[in-house]
Amino acid sequence: MAVDRTNLFQATIKTVKTRNKILNIGSEEAKTTASIHPRPRGEFVARAKDVVQNISKLRDFLLKHRKDYIDATGYLTSEVSKMTDNERDQIDNDAQTFMRTCSEAIRILKTEVLKQPMPQQVRSHREAVFELMESYLKAVCKLYSEQRAIRVKRVVDRKRISRLEPEGRRTGTDMTELRQRHKRARPEQNSEEGDKERDESKVMKNTPASGDPLMEYLEEDEDDELSPEEIQMFEQENERLYNEMNSLVDEVRQIEGKVVEISRLQEIFADKVLQQEVEIDRIADTVVQSTENIKEGNEEVREAMKKDAGFRVWILFFLVMCSFSLLFLEWYS
Amino acid sequence: MAASIREKQTAALKRMLNLNLEPSRSSAVEPVWKVLVYDRFGQDIISPILSVPELRDMGVTLHLLLHSDRDPIPDVPAVYFVMPSEENVQRICQDLRNQLYESYYLNFISAVSRQRLEDMASAALQAGTVPQISKVFDQYLNFITLEDDMFTLRHSQNREAISYYAINRGDVQDSEMEASMDAIVDSLFSVFVTLGTVPIIRSPRGNAAEMVAEKLDKKLRENIRDSRNSLFTSDSLQAGQFSFQRPLLVILDRNLDLATPLHHTWTYQALAHDVLDLQLNRVMVEEPGGEKSPQGARPKKKAKSYDLNFTDKFWQSHKGSPFPEVAEAVQRELEEYRSQEDEVKRLKSVMGLEGEDEGAISMLSDNTAKLTSAVSSLPELLEKKRLIDMHTNIASALLDHIKVRKLDVYFEMEEKMMSKQSLDKSLMDMFSDPEAGSPEDKMRLFIIYFICSAQTMSDAEIDQYAVALQAANCDLAPLHYIKRWKAFTKMTAAPSQYGGGGTKTISMFSRLMNTGSKFVMEGVKNLVVKKHNLPVTRVADALIDNKSYQDTEDYRYFDPKMLRVTDSSIPRNRNPVQEAIVFIVGSGNYIEYQNLVDYVKGKSGGSIKRITYGCSELSNATLFLKQLAKLGTELH
Repeated sequence: MAVDRTNLFQATIKTVKTRNKILNIGSEEAKTTASIHPRPRGEFVARAKDVVQNISKLRDFLLKHRKDYIDATGYLTSEVSKMTDNERDQIDNDAQTFMRTCSEAIRILKTEVLKQPMPQQVRSHREAVFELMESYLKAVCKLYSEQRAIRVKRVVDRKRISRLEPEGRRTGTDMTELRQRHKRARPEQNSEEGDKERDESKVMKNTPASGDPLMEYLEEDEDDELSPEEIQMFEQENERLYNEMNSLVDEVRQIEGKVVEISRLQEIFADKVLQQEVEIDRIADTVVQSTENIKEGNEEVREAMKKDAGFRVWILFFLVMCSFSLLFLEWYS
Repeated sequence: MAASIREKQTAALKRMLNLNLEPSRSSAVEPVWKVLVYDRFGQDIISPILSVPELRDMGVTLHLLLHSDRDPIPDVPAVYFVMPSEENVQRICQDLRNQLYESYYLNFISAVSRQRLEDMASAALQAGTVPQISKVFDQYLNFITLEDDMFTLRHSQNREAISYYAINRGDVQDSEMEASMDAIVDSLFSVFVTLGTVPIIRSPRGNAAEMVAEKLDKKLRENIRDSRNSLFTSDSLQAGQFSFQRPLLVILDRNLDLATPLHHTWTYQALAHDVLDLQLNRVMVEEPGGEKSPQGARPKKKAKSYDLNFTDKFWQSHKGSPFPEVAEAVQRELEEYRSQEDEVKRLKSVMGLEGEDEGAISMLSDNTAKLTSAVSSLPELLEKKRLIDMHTNIASALLDHIKVRKLDVYFEMEEKMMSKQSLDKSLMDMFSDPEAGSPEDKMRLFIIYFICSAQTMSDAEIDQYAVALQAANCDLAPLHYIKRWKAFTKMTAAPSQYGGGGTKTISMFSRLMNTGSKFVMEGVKNLVVKKHNLPVTRVADALIDNKSYQDTEDYRYFDPKMLRVTDSSIPRNRNPVQEAIVFIVGSGNYIEYQNLVDYVKGKSGGSIKRITYGCSELSNATLFLKQLAKLGTELH
């Protein structure tokens, strides 16, 4: 339970001020030093604060749209969901580019600032500031990746749930979609499935494309009366193609989920590898240095051996010459 | 009162570090950078509770001592956490004049006086930095919390003024005594301000504990009466904390029981404190280096320091267990870790097989899930390995010491003495055995024997032992003091207080060889300690249950909330006590703390929920013996 003494302190300042005024002490000093205020804000702090504010903006943006993005009750409402997938993709892209620029900005600021000379404590303070900024950015990125993982998981789950329904009903409604283009009347079945399927049909961009040749084929025959056997044949073919497309889409969705997981793992691995990179660089340098040292050492040893041998020969020669000259001189004199 | 004292202190510190605003709960909060400046008191208070990474999380980029050279760091707010002493205030004024930081948040550990506020105000005016002083707070955090339910008042060099020696000195003057008492009362007051309750105080008569109790009662009373500034108003209690139970504060004097601080220990935490000098939850272990160098030079020893705090689950569960149990537990943890590691390694082979398969999607999903879980559990595994390594090192260091000094034999003998069983090895043998322990150990053993002997020993016997002790290089000064203490307190009833304890020895040799554990404790006995209550626990038990126990009948009763000061010993408040705080004036130790913890555990289902143990300083047997020696030499 801390007690706030700030008010008391301010009151004390006032009393001291009045006391000083009465006694006329140090009023001059106070004025001159007071004129130093306001101090100019340091450049480092201003830029660092800018980066942090940008990251905060990103965080607010993500949090604001988080509810719509995740859209937990989307499949219950009959209206169009609050956020189309296009918007979701756009949010993803925007967030990614923003994060990249933020990390670039941190890096640039770091290299610039750390080059300047400054006292030790200021340096460690600034390094700690950078660490804190980076961890803040990482936390905000985590928000983003969580959101995205939830979205992908939701789509996969939806797909899995929808597969539990018997096939006939599903194909019936999709036939309805296709048939409606050709203005064929069909009893409205499974309207409660319709909403879910409508969402999915928006997601399944493949189906309309693959259905197109089929539709063209159908359209050509639209003028003719289709006999019941042909109708059935076409129906079966449609069914078959439709199932194939569905399973393909299934697999694609699942693979996407797996890929997201793998990318997360990759991130972790990349992190670790980057950490090790520094160590490995250092080790490589040391190794190179030691090989060079050894090479130099070898050369030195060789030189020494050579010099040794040469040196000894010369000494011997010189001594022998000296002795011969002595003998010669003695022989003469 | 659900929150323990450690949680409350942590919350207060975090609020302070958040520039005295409530910390927000949202994720990914924008960091506010600040510099933390503290003095030695502040350092002792913060270091057991907040680690450096936690400080980083709160935005602290630098933490510096107040009286060191500090460079000006512009545009950063500085949080000061200091005692309001004269030199500290002077140094703060100097900082203000040098304009080291952008804004100043001054937090004083205990209440700052008017005079000092004026000094700072005039310095600030002179320097023209008045608008930079953003906040001035009295934090009332003048105590050090070591565990969830254990606190002490002073540590390192600050503890001299309130040690056992200072209080019981022969030539202590009234003014010094007053100063020591005031320091203790100030700290106890901060404890209760932090807890937010007004306790009921009980203390024995006639010694330092009574003085402390009276002063504390007076201080609390004054504060409650002063309704404008009271620290205990109900709006200071947050919701969910309404407790109609008031805690019971039992203040005891060290003189109640001088044997326990000298007792040889057998539980993990107490052993670490006694043998390896556990300070502020940190242990220094000397590790012997590799093999001896060929010239037979000494192997290099490097000292490593380990932190033992509340995040370490193994420590929390085993700090009170007897040492052999700890050894077994470390083995178990090691095996568990190895099996988990093997599982992770096995995944590698599974991954290798997967490529040969048809690649069924379900198989793939299983593997990715397994891989994800394995990778995410890797940091935990690494952390676990680190903890196991740390505890292995500590336990082996302890084991070495035990073997060298034969601490297990001492422990057994002392337990037998305290429970008045007959000794199987006579004292003279112990003293004349040059291998068994240091001179201090022998001294401790003898003092305990002396204190616990039922009949007073004749002087001749004492002299006999004294000669033997001196032959073993013991310093006899503590003995003089103990003699006098015994005469003064007439503790002939003391031995009965230790009764009921005892040990059983289980031969551990064969069992350990079978399990092949690393801790080959041959020759070290596995002593199983029967549950018994130390004198402190007994007194606490009696007061909590309002039992009438001959020693505590005469204890004084203080209730600061009552209007009149009465001198009765009759408790007016007969509600069952849910929480108690036992405070020892003088030096405390981990043995008593462990005993209280065991007592609370044994009473589960009873009335008492938590007992907090406090002492004015925490000293192990070596330090306490030194203090006794000083007292003894002064007697002459």
